[in-house]
Amino acid sequence: MLLLQPAVQARLVDVSELSTFSGARIAFWIIAAIVLLGALATITRKNPIAAVMSLVATFFGLAATYALLSAHFLAALQVLVYAGAIMVLFIFVVMVLNRDEVEPIAVRGAFTKAVGVAAVGYLVVKLGYQLSTVLAPMPGPPPPEFGTVAQVGNILFTDYLFAFEMVSVLLLIAVIAAVVVARAHKREESPEEPQT
Amino acid sequence: MMIPIQDFLLLGALRFGLGVIGVILRRNVLIVLMSIELMLNAANLTLVAFGRARHDPHAHAFAFLVMAVAAAEAAVGLAIVVGIFRNRRSVNLDELTLMKH
Repeated sequence: MLLLQPAVQARLVDVSELSTFSGARIAFWIIAAIVLLGALATITRKNPIAAVMSLVATFFGLAATYALLSAHFLAALQVLVYAGAIMVLFIFVVMVLNRDEVEPIAVRGAFTKAVGVAAVGYLVVKLGYQLSTVLAPMPGPPPPEFGTVAQVGNILFTDYLFAFEMVSVLLLIAVIAAVVVARAHKREESPEEPQT
Repeated sequence: MMIPIQDFLLLGALRFGLGVIGVILRRNVLIVLMSIELMLNAANLTLVAFGRARHDPHAHAFAFLVMAVAAAEAAVGLAIVVGIFRNRRSVNLDELTLMKH
């Protein structure tokens, strides 16, 4: 990977250089297209399994994006945690509760939803416009150890040691909570009469 | 070999927007949970992009913690979905109005 090259002197990029399309930028937008099309498929597919599979595609695309940002540790973690663990969890639950929706996008409250979607669209368009006008100069290539396991691990076990340990407690609590909530209870109401 | 940081931020914004639209429009709890994952991922991407722009590896540590919290959230969320399905035989958000009044 080109980003792994030893650090050359940091330089500020000329703004005019940013408007040109280099090969790396085209490669980035191909990956971005995978990410965005996958995300679009995730929120539009009727079949939950198809949605989960599109989500896996977006997670792999995002891992590639992290690699382009020299975040090698996070790229590996993205594949392991999201494309691996979380997606298996989702697929299991979808398999357990698999039923197609009669009406995937509800018509009820259509006005409120239209307003919400319009607000989100406005936000994104405005943000894109601002990003295209206010160009922050980008620093040059990062130092070679940037984003490696060694560097991120060093930070995690010094500056963020308390947060790191609390994350382990949080995960333990989450596991216990998941077991308690999803466990089959002894006295179970019949499905015909939902409790009050 | 230069990809402007704005491209990454724009990608993060678009992805976040798609996640919000998914939460607003879809009625299936599972799809809504997936959209929440999309939004968390977009926030992570933005963090990492700013970390790259400032050569600051602390962003990576922060993104790591966000990932851990997202994993916990997915586990508990899916457990709640399974629990609701057990009681109500439904994963449709519009039918879950027990606590509405």
